[in-house]
Amino acid sequence: MMSKRRIDWAIYAAFIVLIMLVPLIMDSFWLNRLAKYLVFGMLGIAVALSWGYAGILNLGQGLFFGAGAYMLAMSLKLASSTSLQQGSDKPVPDFMLWNAEPGAKTELCCINKASFLWLPFQSQWFGVAMGLILPVAIAFVLGSIVFRKRIAGVFVSIITLALVLLVRLVMIDAQPVTNGFNGLTDLGWFKLGGFEFDPYVVPTYYLIAVSLSVVLIAARLLVETRAGVILQAIRDDQNRARYLGFDVPAYQTFFFAVSALIAGFAGMLYVIVSEFASPTFMDLSFSITMVVWAAVGGRASILGACIGAILINMISATVSETEGFAEAWKAIIGLIFVLVVLYMPRGIAGLAHDLIDRFITRRPSTPAPAVRVNDPSSQPAE
Amino acid sequence: MAQAALTIDGLSVDFEGFKAVNGVSMIVEDGELRVLLGANGAGKTTLMDLISGKTKSTGGRVFVHDTEITNWEEHKIARAGIGRKFQIPSVFKELTVRRNLEVASCKNPGVFANLGFGFSAKAKIDEVLELIGLTEEAGQVAAYLSHGQTQWLELGLLITQDPKIILLDEPTAGMTQAETHKTSLIVNNLKGRHTIIVVEHDMAFVREIAERITVLHLGQVLAEGSVAEIENDPKVRAAYLGSKGIT
Amino acid sequence: MLEVLFIGLSLGSILLLVALGLAITYGAMGVINMAHGEMVMVGAYVTVLSGLWFGTDIFIAIPLAFIVTALLGLLIERVVVRKLYGRLLDTLLATWGIAILIQQAVRLEFGLSFLGIHIQGLGPGLQNVSVPDILQGTFRFAGADINRYRAFIILVTAMLAIATWFVIYRTVAGTQVRAIIRNPKMAAACGIDVTRVNALTFAFGSGLAGVAGVMMSGFKTVFPDMGTSMVVDGFLVVVMGGVGSLLGSVLSAGILGEINGLVAAATNDILARAVVFGVVIAIIVLKPKGLFALKGR
Repeated sequence: MMSKRRIDWAIYAAFIVLIMLVPLIMDSFWLNRLAKYLVFGMLGIAVALSWGYAGILNLGQGLFFGAGAYMLAMSLKLASSTSLQQGSDKPVPDFMLWNAEPGAKTELCCINKASFLWLPFQSQWFGVAMGLILPVAIAFVLGSIVFRKRIAGVFVSIITLALVLLVRLVMIDAQPVTNGFNGLTDLGWFKLGGFEFDPYVVPTYYLIAVSLSVVLIAARLLVETRAGVILQAIRDDQNRARYLGFDVPAYQTFFFAVSALIAGFAGMLYVIVSEFASPTFMDLSFSITMVVWAAVGGRASILGACIGAILINMISATVSETEGFAEAWKAIIGLIFVLVVLYMPRGIAGLAHDLIDRFITRRPSTPAPAVRVNDPSSQPAE
Repeated sequence: MAQAALTIDGLSVDFEGFKAVNGVSMIVEDGELRVLLGANGAGKTTLMDLISGKTKSTGGRVFVHDTEITNWEEHKIARAGIGRKFQIPSVFKELTVRRNLEVASCKNPGVFANLGFGFSAKAKIDEVLELIGLTEEAGQVAAYLSHGQTQWLELGLLITQDPKIILLDEPTAGMTQAETHKTSLIVNNLKGRHTIIVVEHDMAFVREIAERITVLHLGQVLAEGSVAEIENDPKVRAAYLGSKGIT
Repeated sequence: MLEVLFIGLSLGSILLLVALGLAITYGAMGVINMAHGEMVMVGAYVTVLSGLWFGTDIFIAIPLAFIVTALLGLLIERVVVRKLYGRLLDTLLATWGIAILIQQAVRLEFGLSFLGIHIQGLGPGLQNVSVPDILQGTFRFAGADINRYRAFIILVTAMLAIATWFVIYRTVAGTQVRAIIRNPKMAAACGIDVTRVNALTFAFGSGLAGVAGVMMSGFKTVFPDMGTSMVVDGFLVVVMGGVGSLLGSVLSAGILGEINGLVAAATNDILARAVVFGVVIAIIVLKPKGLFALKGR
C-alpha cells in the first residue's frame, strides 16, 4: 500500500515529467513564456521554504531575486553587442556612453566614478558566482542580526519590506552604474561551453526546467532532513526548541539564506529567458505577489507553492490574450487571494492532501491523519 | 555524600531596583528531587529563568557539576545538561507526537550536523511514549492532544532530551486529580535517573514526590529541609503558610 | 533653513495623516490593513468626483470622504477582517487582495467600462483637483516663504491628531478601545462588545485615511495606484513609533518627515526616501518594540 509520502513523491515525479514533455506541444513563443513561469515557480519554492517551513514571512524576497538578476545581467550586458558600439573590443555598456561626461575616457575602468565595479563582470562566471553569493551574503548578514536579536513575525516582514524598497531606491539613484529606472536591457545570451542560450529555443527551456526540477527535489529533501524537521519545530515554538538545546538563530539564518539562494538563482534564470533586469524586480508588489502565488498553491508545500506560481501566471497570460481583460483578471486575482486566505489557508496543496487522505483512509487499518490548518503565521508577533 | 549536580551561589537579579531573586544559594545533589515552594512573587519561576538562561542574572553564579553556566545562552545551558518544562505547556503543535520526541532526541545543536536523514532513537522514543502513555497517539499531530496529554508530551520531550537536571515549572497546573496522579507517577519514575527541581503549589502532589523542599520568600531562601521539617518550621508557617499550616 | 524644516514638517504631517488611521487599526486591533492606502486613494477620488459632480471644494470633501471611507471600512471589517482576528500576517495578505480589488474597481469604473459606460473622474487616467484660491500661493512667516497648502495640511493633521487623541483618551468608546489594545479577552469579559468596538474602530481608522486622501488630492495627482507606497510609509511610522502609541506615531512621523526633508534638500528625493527606510530598519532592529512602546505585558 502506498504511503502518503510515496504518493507525494509520485506527484513530484509526475510534475517533473510533465514539464519535461511540454516542448513536444508548445511553440517557442509559449515555451519562452512558460520558462518564465517556471522561474516564478522556483520563487514559489523559496517563499514556501521561508514562510511555510521556517515561519518567516519575507516581504522582500524580490531583493534576492533582483540581486541574482542584476549580477548576471551585468555580465550579459557586457557580452552584448550593444556594449561594443564604439568599435573597440573593450565592452562598455551603452547607457554609460550616453551619459558619459564630455571628455571622459570611454573605458569601463573610468568612464564614470563607479564604473570600475563592472570590470570583473567581463567574465560571465563572475556574474554567475556573484548572483549566487550576493543573495546568500545579504540573507546571512540580515538573518544573523535579526534572528540573533529574536525579532520575529511581522517585524521581520516589515524589515525585509523596508530593505527591498531601500535597495530599489539606491539602485535607481545609482543611475550611472545601474541605468536607474530603465534597468539593464539588450543583454547578450548566456553561454555554456560553446552553446548560446537563445531565450526562444528548446535547450533554454530545458535549462530552466532541469534547474527547477533540481531545486524542487533539493528543497523537498532539505525539509525532510533532521535540520528541516527541527526548523519546523522552531517555527511551532521557538522557545521550546531553544531549551532543547538548538541554536535557533542558526537554523533560521541557514534556511533564510537557502531561500535567498533559490530566489537569487531564479533571478539569474529569469535574466536568461527575459533578457533584462530592472528595478521593478524590487517593487513591493512583486514581492507580495510571490507570497500570493505561494499562498494560493499552499504555503506549507514546496510543490504546491511552485505549482501555484506557475498556474496563476499561466492563467494570467491566457486571460490577458483577450483584449481588455487583463485588468479584470487582476481584480479576480485579488478576489481569489482574499478567498484563499479566508477559506483555504492551506491552498491547492491542502486541498490535494485532503483528497489523498480520503483516498488512503478508504482502505482499512490506516487511521485518518488529522487535517488541520497549518498556520505558522498566526503566532503572536513576540 | 553524593556529588552536587547543581550549585547556585548567591544568585541575584535586579529588575530596575526590584530584586526578584536576592542572593539565593543552594546545592542540589545528583539524583535528588527538590521542590521549590513559595508564595506568588517569591521568585520561584524567576529562579528557574535564571538557571535556564531565560533571564540574565545580575549577581552570583550557577554551576552544573563543575561547569559554570552563569548567563550562558539558553541553548548552551540546555546542552550543558539542563532541561526545562514551562508553566504553560509548550510542544511543537504542527508535528506529530513521535516527531516531537524525535526532535528532542537529536543530540546535535547545529544546522550542518543535521543535514542528514532520520532520527536514530526509535527504541528510546518507544520507551518514552510508553512512559508518558501516548503510544496510541504517536502518529497524531500534537495540536490535538488534551491539556494533560500536552503536559505529558512536554515531559516526554525532556525525558528524551535526557538532561542531567530537569526543571519543572508547575507540571500539574490545570490538571484533574487523576491527571495529577499520573504525572506524579511519571515524575517518580524519573527520580534517581535525573536530578529534578520542581516548582509546585499542589501539596498533595508535593507529598507524592518530594524528598527535600526549599522555601523561597521575597526572593530569598527561607528554609530548607524534608517535607515534615518544612511543614513544622515556624518561620515558614509565619511567612508563607499563615498560622494554619500546610493544607 | 526654516523653509527646509517647514517642508520636513509638512512631509511629516503627510506621513502622520496616513499613519493615524493605521496607528488605530493596527495598534488597537492588530490588523495590518494593506488596503489603507486604497482608502486614501478613495478619499482622493471622493474629492475629484464631488468636485466634478457637485462643484464642491476640498472643504466639503473632507467630511464626505470620511463618511464614504468609514462605510467602506465598515464593510471590509464585516466581510473579511472580522474572520481573521489574531492572524496578523493573514490580515496583511487578505487586505492586500482587497487593495487590488479596490484599485481595479476604480480603474475599471466598477466594471462598467466593459459595458462601454464611463464615469467621469474614474478610470485608469490621472486626475487633478484644483485647490481653492485661499490655499494657493505662499505667505511670509518669520522671514520664510511658506506654502499655504502645506500649512493647511499641517493644520488639518494637527486637528485630526488632537481629535483622535480626544476620542481615544477622553471618551468612553476610546477607553474601550484602549482596553481592547491591552487585553481583548479581558475587555470582553468586562462587558465590552469587542466585535462592535472593533468594527467602529476600523471604520474610524478608514475614515481618517479618507481625509488623508482629500488632503493628498490637493497637491498630488490622483490615480488608482497612488495608495500603495503610502501604506508602506504609514506602517513604518507606526512600527517605528511603537505599536499602540499615538504619541509615538506623531513623533516618529515628525522625525521621519524632517529626515526626509533635510536629506532631500542636501541630495535628492530618492536618496531621502532611501535614508528614511534605512533609519526605520535600524530602529526596528535596535528597538523592535518601537521608540515609544506600551509598557507592561
